[in-house]
Amino acid sequence: MTPVLQVEDLRKHFPAQGGRIVHAVNGVSFSINPGETLGVVGESGSGKSTIGRAVIRLLKPTAGRVRFQGQDITHLPESACRRLRAEMQMVFQDPWSALNPRIRIGALIAEPLLLHTKLSRAERRDAAEDLAQRVRLTPELLTRFPAELSGGQLQRVCIARAIATRPKLIVLDEPTSSLDLSVRAGILDLLATLKAETGAAMMFISHDLGTVKLISDRIMVLYLGGVVEYAPAAQVFAQPAHPYSQALMSAHLPADPEAVLRRHVLEGEIPSPIALPPGCHFASRCPVAAPACSTMAPELRAVRGEATHQAACLRIAEGANLIPEVTHG
Amino acid sequence: MTLLSVEDLHTHFISRDLDNQIRVARALNGVSFTLEAGQVLGLVGETGAGKSLTATSIMGLLRPPARVVGGRALFQGQDLLAMPEAQVNALRGRDIALVVQSPKSSLDPLTRIGNQLIRIHRAHRQVSERAARDRAVEMLASLGIPDPARRMAAWPHELSGGMAQRVLIALALMNEPRLLIADEPTTGLDVTVQAQILDLLRDLVRRTGIGAMVITHDLGVVAHYCDAMAVMYAGAIVESGPVRRVFASPSHPYTANLIGATPERLQLGAARTVGGPPPNLFRLPEGCAYRDRCPRAGADCAQPPPDVALGQGHVARCHRVAA
Repeated sequence: MTPVLQVEDLRKHFPAQGGRIVHAVNGVSFSINPGETLGVVGESGSGKSTIGRAVIRLLKPTAGRVRFQGQDITHLPESACRRLRAEMQMVFQDPWSALNPRIRIGALIAEPLLLHTKLSRAERRDAAEDLAQRVRLTPELLTRFPAELSGGQLQRVCIARAIATRPKLIVLDEPTSSLDLSVRAGILDLLATLKAETGAAMMFISHDLGTVKLISDRIMVLYLGGVVEYAPAAQVFAQPAHPYSQALMSAHLPADPEAVLRRHVLEGEIPSPIALPPGCHFASRCPVAAPACSTMAPELRAVRGEATHQAACLRIAEGANLIPEVTHG
Repeated sequence: MTLLSVEDLHTHFISRDLDNQIRVARALNGVSFTLEAGQVLGLVGETGAGKSLTATSIMGLLRPPARVVGGRALFQGQDLLAMPEAQVNALRGRDIALVVQSPKSSLDPLTRIGNQLIRIHRAHRQVSERAARDRAVEMLASLGIPDPARRMAAWPHELSGGMAQRVLIALALMNEPRLLIADEPTTGLDVTVQAQILDLLRDLVRRTGIGAMVITHDLGVVAHYCDAMAVMYAGAIVESGPVRRVFASPSHPYTANLIGATPERLQLGAARTVGGPPPNLFRLPEGCAYRDRCPRAGADCAQPPPDVALGQGHVARCHRVAA
């Protein structure tokens, strides 16, 4: 089976003031299979959104390779990318600013069909009604303007647009972060249903660990533009191997007062992506760092011989990667 | 004595529309709760439920067209809403402190953080500049800000989100308040920073015995950092009680729906009542405000629902709940 998306050693640098360089993404490799959902987690500045935009070529990668359905699209000209976007779509965090406020909902949903298909006006209208039904929007909303809809309804419009051309890959950048809990549940339901119906691969970017755990098959944990851990979802939560993943997962607050927290409090703050530290980027905050960690950059390696569970930490080989446990609360 | 006791608080937005007709948005409709010293109370609810408005109403920080039209807010037995403005001013920032949302836009951008800390201290206490400065440095240090003496000279824009939030908490604590109200203290912060800030708040309550009210929409924060919780819907508290009890047996249909929508309990694809639109505050239905969305609503829900006591301080405002 050819993966829908294969990313090898992706790098993205942005110029900053004074000729300096922001190293937003530093050598990220992963792949997504048809029908698979990859969760991408990490804190602000970890490069989540940059990766999402680079793989569908809204940004041009600085280095590395992006293959979409086997085709190398890393250096594809913009005109060719536009045609390709019928097959890869994106849903953004803020539905209020993602939709043109002066276009009616029906026309917004039909817009991708106008751009990418040869359907007649009547066929497009029928298709828009069908799409609206699939994302559970009532038909009378199709004649409204975006300002008349709620956030949850607008996000459904964005999802309807994203699935209109039957894409093979959908990148969702924090699609539920701006929504209330009960509305969020409805959107997650919808995504799970669509995934089963369309078989599209999804890249789900979020900082909300609970949501990612629920919807992802595999999870990629990022720190300062690099992958620190890459494993099946349940494993990342149950047995995080990288010290940063351990700290991140331990800071997650499940909405259940009976859940016992294993807390590993991190000292300090995330270093600047302008002046990246040598060696492991996490070494300066890592409770189990050894002297070698600040000089040698670790590579992603299989954990305990399981090829599907990978982490980038020098201390794993010595079995010294686990942060000593402190329970409380 | 109860630290804070809010009784039947009503706040309305009263304005005139284009036809010069008076329009009233009933934003708070009889909010009642109590907060004891040494306790952390979580106030939860969805956007527009009236969480922040409850805080600003109690603190006397409403601006027109919002107005408190009824109810009392007793702080150590004194009604904050009936007090002369000068007396409220003396309490606010000294005995009652508010940590507002969005730390980066809540600090004065043109004043170094040290001077902001000194200013709030000297506004309420007769102390020398030097003593205030020493206290400010001490406060920053106790909030885990590295190199506090040097940080005193920092400008707000030089701080990260987590640091700005700590400075805001430092500002609130400068005068050793008895009551701390924190409005979404960790929204927008990364989870590891969120954990640090919340640990800090809880340790503070445990150590000094003050009372704290945390306004949040994150049930994870409530589950792990609050002792009691109050759930708001359409400007009223529909359920309240000890956190573990409410999570274990949510009794109001709205609370049950809310807790059922958390990722931990969510069953993808299962049939459930999804969230409808928030109620129209200009035309709230008679009786229970939730009845249009409620799967268990019946004819009696057109009557105002009773507060049903379920034991151990657990109360739900619903016709369907049996005591």
